[in-house]
Order: sequence, then C-alpha cells, then structure tokens
Amino acid sequence: MGTAEIGQGAIILAFLAAIVSVVVAGIGAYTSSRRLISITRISVISIAAFYSLALATAVFAFLTRDYSLRIVSAHVDSNLPASYALSALYADKAGSMLLWGWLISLFSALIAFRKHEYDNSILPHMLCILAAIQVFFLAMVTFVGNVFEQNPTPVTEGIGLNPWLQNIAMLVHPPVLYISFAAVSVVFAMIIASLITRTPDDQWVRWVRRWTLFGWCTLGIGNLIGMWWSYNELGWGGYWAWDPVENAGLMPWFLITAFIHSISVQRQRNRLRRWSLVLAIFTFEFTLLIPFITHGGIESPLHGFIHSYFPPYILAAILITLAGSLGLLYIRRKDLQRDERSFSLVSREGAFLATNIILVLLTVVVLIGTVLPRIVELFSGTRIAIDRSFYDRVAGPIMLVLVFFMGVCPLLGWAKTSWKSAKSSFLFSLLAALLVAVVVLIVGGGKWYVISAIVCCFPFFVILLEWFRGARARHQGRKENYFRASLALLDSNRPKYGGFLVHIGIILIALGIVVSSFYSVEKVSTLDIGQSMKVGDYDLTYDELLLKQDNVKISTIATISMSKQGRLIGEVYPENNYWFYYSPILNETFREVAVRTTPAEDVFVYLWWTSFDQQDKSATIIAMVNPLVVWIWAGGGFLLLGGAIAFSHQDKRESQHKDRR
Amino acid sequence: MAVGLLVYASLGSAVSYYLTVSELLDKGSELYGERVRVAGKVANNSIEWDADTLELGFVITEGGEDLLVVYEGARPSGLKEDSNVLVEGEYRSDNTFQASTIILKCPSKYEPEE
Repeated sequence: MGTAEIGQGAIILAFLAAIVSVVVAGIGAYTSSRRLISITRISVISIAAFYSLALATAVFAFLTRDYSLRIVSAHVDSNLPASYALSALYADKAGSMLLWGWLISLFSALIAFRKHEYDNSILPHMLCILAAIQVFFLAMVTFVGNVFEQNPTPVTEGIGLNPWLQNIAMLVHPPVLYISFAAVSVVFAMIIASLITRTPDDQWVRWVRRWTLFGWCTLGIGNLIGMWWSYNELGWGGYWAWDPVENAGLMPWFLITAFIHSISVQRQRNRLRRWSLVLAIFTFEFTLLIPFITHGGIESPLHGFIHSYFPPYILAAILITLAGSLGLLYIRRKDLQRDERSFSLVSREGAFLATNIILVLLTVVVLIGTVLPRIVELFSGTRIAIDRSFYDRVAGPIMLVLVFFMGVCPLLGWAKTSWKSAKSSFLFSLLAALLVAVVVLIVGGGKWYVISAIVCCFPFFVILLEWFRGARARHQGRKENYFRASLALLDSNRPKYGGFLVHIGIILIALGIVVSSFYSVEKVSTLDIGQSMKVGDYDLTYDELLLKQDNVKISTIATISMSKQGRLIGEVYPENNYWFYYSPILNETFREVAVRTTPAEDVFVYLWWTSFDQQDKSATIIAMVNPLVVWIWAGGGFLLLGGAIAFSHQDKRESQHKDRR
Repeated sequence: MAVGLLVYASLGSAVSYYLTVSELLDKGSELYGERVRVAGKVANNSIEWDADTLELGFVITEGGEDLLVVYEGARPSGLKEDSNVLVEGEYRSDNTFQASTIILKCPSKYEPEE
C-alpha cells in the first residue's frame, strides 16, 4: 500500500468518524444519555487520531520527496532543505486546509479529554458543533480538492518551492495563524453551545477566556510575522500594503480584540453580554473569510492571482453558520435582554464599550475597502480599485484615537467614576506627553513625530503611573522594594498587568508604524563599481559584484560599504538571484535584501537589477532608511509576553464575581 | 457618523477605474488626467530602459490596441516581453500613460502560500 492510499484511507476514516460524531453528539445532546456522550468523546478523539495519521503521511511524503503525489511534485524538489519541505505542505491550498482542520481536530480532542471541565449537558453540543466544522474541512480536502491526489504520469523531479517562501518566517507564519483560527472555532462552538443550552454567562465566559486569549495572541503574532516576512523578503520596503489578504487577517484580530474587552466587562460587571456573543460569532465568520480571500475569492495583486476551487464552498459555509448563529440569537433574544442593566458611560465599562465600537468601526472600514471593488464589479460591471490612501486616511486616524484611548481606560474605575479621582493621573500623563512632544519638536522632529509622541506617550505614562502607584502601595504596605513590588503586582493580577504589557506593545507598534510611514526615505541609482550614492545620512559605495552558481540558482552578490558622516560603519551584501526552477515560471529574479538595523532606523539595501553578466557590472541599487521599524517587532514581543501572562491566569469557579480591580 | 463622512470623503479620491487597454482607448479623452489602472500584455521589442536616468518605457497591448507606458524608477525585474502587467497612474492628453506603479501579474502556475 502506497503513501497515497494510507493518507487517503486515514482522511476518509476521519471523515466518517466526524460524521458519526455529529450524529451521536446530536442525539446525545438531545437525550443527555451518558452512554452516547462517552461514545461521542471517543469518536471525536478518533477523528484527531485519523487526522494525525493523514497529516503524518503527508509530511512523510514531503520529507521522502514522494513525487507520485501531486501535492509533493508541485511544491518541492530534491534540492530543497528538509525544513522547507514542511512549509511546502501549507504552500498548497488543500494542504493548508488539511493543517487547519487537523488543528481543529486536536483542539476538539482536547476538549473531549477534559470532560470534567464541562457539564454533561453542554459537552455534546460543543463536540457536535466542532465535529460539524471538521466534516466541512474534511469534505474540502477529500472531495473538493484531494490532498492525496496522485500524478497521472510518473514524475521524477518536483517544481520546487517558491523562493519567497524559503524563509523562516514563512515556515512559522501559516501554522501560527491556523492555530489561532482553530482556537477561534473552539470559542465559537462554546458560545453557540452555551446559547443553545442556556448556560449561565459566568460559566461560558470562564471556558472561552483562555481559548480567546490564545487565539488572539496567535492571530496577532501570526499577522506580525507576516508583516516581518513582507518587509524582509518581498522587496518593496514596506510591511503593510492594505492588500485584501492582509486585511483578511487584520479584521478578525480587531473583532477578537473587542471580544476580549467585552468578556472582561462580563467577568467584572456582568455587562455587554450581547456584544460578546455577536463579536464571537463574527470573529469566527471573519476567520473563514480569510481562506475565501486567499484562495482567490477576491483578487489580490500582492499575493498573486491564484484561484482554487474552495471559495464557493467557504462562502456557503460562512452564510450557513452566520444565518444559523444569528437565528439562534434571535430565538434567545428574551434571555439576552435579561439583566442587561444600563451603566454610566464615564466608567471603565463605558470606555470598554467605546473601545468595542471603535474596533467594530475599523473592521467595517477595512471590510468596505476590501470588498467594495468586488461588489461594484458584480452589480455594475465597472471594475474599480481602491488604493491605500483610503485606508491611510480613514483607518489611520481611527487607530490613533484608539491608541490614545488606551490611556483613558485605566483611569476609569468600574461602575462609576468621579472625574476627581482620575484628574491628577490624566493631567500628569498628558503634561508629560506634551513635554516629550516639545522635546521632540526642539530636537527637530517633524509634525508626525510630535503627533505620535503625544498620542503614544499619554497612554504609556498612564500605564506607568498606574503600575508605579500599585508598586508604591506594596512598597509602603509590605516593605518590598519597587522592582519586586512591580513584579508581585503583575503576578497578583495577571489579566490586568498582562493587558498593560500588551498595550505597551501596541503603543510601540503604533509609534513604529506612524513614524516609518511618514519618514521613510528612498533612493534609486544605477551605479558602476566604485560609484556612490547618498540616502538619508548614509553614503553607500558599490565596491564589487560577485557572480556565483549553485544547484538551484545563479546569484549576483554586491558588496556595498556604508558610511555615516564620513565614518565607515560596515559592509552589506544584497543579492539578486536567478532561480533555475522558479525564475522562468515567474519571469522574475529574487532579491535578498541586506539590512542594517539599529533601534533608531533600518537601512535597507536592495540589489534591484543587474545584468547577470561578468562584463557589465553596473547595478541598480535601491536604498531606504526606515525609521523605528524595529519598534514594531519589539511591540510584537510585548504582545506575546503580555498575552502569555494574561493567559497564565486561570479563573477559579468560586472567584467568578470577585471584583478584580 | 463622522466615520461615515470620512469614509465617503476618502473613497472619492482613492477609487480608480480598472480597465484594459482597449477599454481605456475606447473612453479616450474623457479619462485624461484621471487615475486609472490598466491591464495588458507587454508588447514584443517594446521595452526601453535607461539604467542611468532610470527611465523606463514599454508598450502594453490588449484587444489589438497599444498603449505607451512611461515610468520613472527602478525597472521591475519581472518585466519581460509578453508578461501580463497592471499599471497604475495617469492617462495623459498625449495618449501616453504615466505609470506610478507597475504590478506584475503572476501566471497561474504561481502558488504562493497566501
């Protein structure tokens, strides 16, 4: 029996197990029979087992370069390092659906294992929904696009992996995102199951909290890794193009961020329940929109014009689950009205509500930009394009408001706040931020440096001040030194201080984005050996060009020495490579950028064009100075750290209503 | 509401028509000075590239019609005869196209992760 048969068999068994799970779980949910619930658990775990076998088979086929499989011959060749042979799995459309579905099966099995966490009344509902989602994914990779499809004629060598994807970031970016999508589907299943069974809010909020944080963190980090890849690998000097594919990853992140704030209000004050439910449902739908867009449902210039057979099915899945979820909300509308008391807008819950509204507005704006051209074309036949100025002008200011707002929330208490208690912190932080802005102005920073200094420093100082006050209280009360007290504070309320760290991360990212968008400098020159060009404060001299050939590519490697104010600071070696397999197909050579990074700015050097001829060594060099970009990646570190700290906190059953201010 | 206004106001200037070469030439003078995106194929022997002045010129063709595109900046490495391109920029009254961006369409064999 060949690899293809084993994999195919495992997938079909997983598919059957998923169908059995849906049916048995459905009946189990209806009858609450313990026996049926046990069978459901076993069958859900067996889906994961068969799925894992299928995935292992696919990975094995990649590692052994089994070219009898289409998925292998289409994405790898014999020269590809083994680690990238793994990323070739999700370079394939069907392969990526396989990976995604497999992660959902693992998470479902985890829930089936931890049965004591969930009541018998709700467990079969959750598993039924999760199994139904898996039926969809398994049907996609079996009947719509067969992962284990065999090549009709023998193939001796594969096509090879697109050189752009031969990068550590691309090894990590897709799986991290799929992990987050899978976590979001767990949250969705829990929410829907809770709605069906009328589970009390405090219970489901406790269940979904950590899954949500996990999904939120992986989604944010996954997007940032994508940005990093785009910046370092794609060769256009930017990290965000408002491309439909990027937008697709951003929208659910806005929504899940809003959802986190919403359930935080639920935990503390038992409010905003309707917001939470709707946000969870739409976060899930927007994660499904991602493959719809990436698989060609909406044309995306940056990511190529590829089409797969999945989009119509994905669209159907979105519409069905959306209609079902909203219908369920409608049926439960009486329950949802219960206990929804009004609250003061000048309070932390009021501020969180405002945050939710802003995040939803952002999502709507990005959605309009992403789908409007497509809708206009469908209805009027006119094709239009929306360029990035739309997003920059609309989403940019809203995001700045949001960042500034992060400084307001910590100042407000739950329930009611009097302006008095917040006044001193507010004024102090605002004055400090203005002071920084003045300093920035004096040392010669431009308009956007000043604006971003105010917008970013204000929330930053509020957070520092809050932290300092808590530490001072501990210092005075328990005689701990300040450093120890700050850490102890973090430990005593991980959701809150983890959140603060995340906000610091967002502030760093915002600062990096604003400054690098407005103050990036770019210079293009065609140079002969020995000639120089100037970009920003830097002088670049083109010293030498080396031609080299190996099994997969012809490389041209330039040696460029860099000096600043007459002082030599180093050499960089940008490359421009002609890949035998890919360059003819794509009509393109692939550049390896050379970067010199300092906390203040990145110097980017591209060997944009060479003649690939020993005789003519003239080269077109593009050089850029991008300020503060590294702050974006550092912000990502804070996001991960803060997210992990918040995640490490586990709500106890008893402590549900304890106020955690 | 403010956001709605912002969306409306910004859409106006950010939207551009997306046409093929023959569609552009059909509309002709009514598009002079407008921001448009035009799709076409690079014509044979039409690429002229001056590496020192960074001036690039080429003809794109579609539906039997030709359009001269001029561009200032680095030559996109994938720009070859017969490749599909999408140019974004302004259609000028001398019937040439001043491109600000050149996007190369990838053949269908190209399957990147995203």
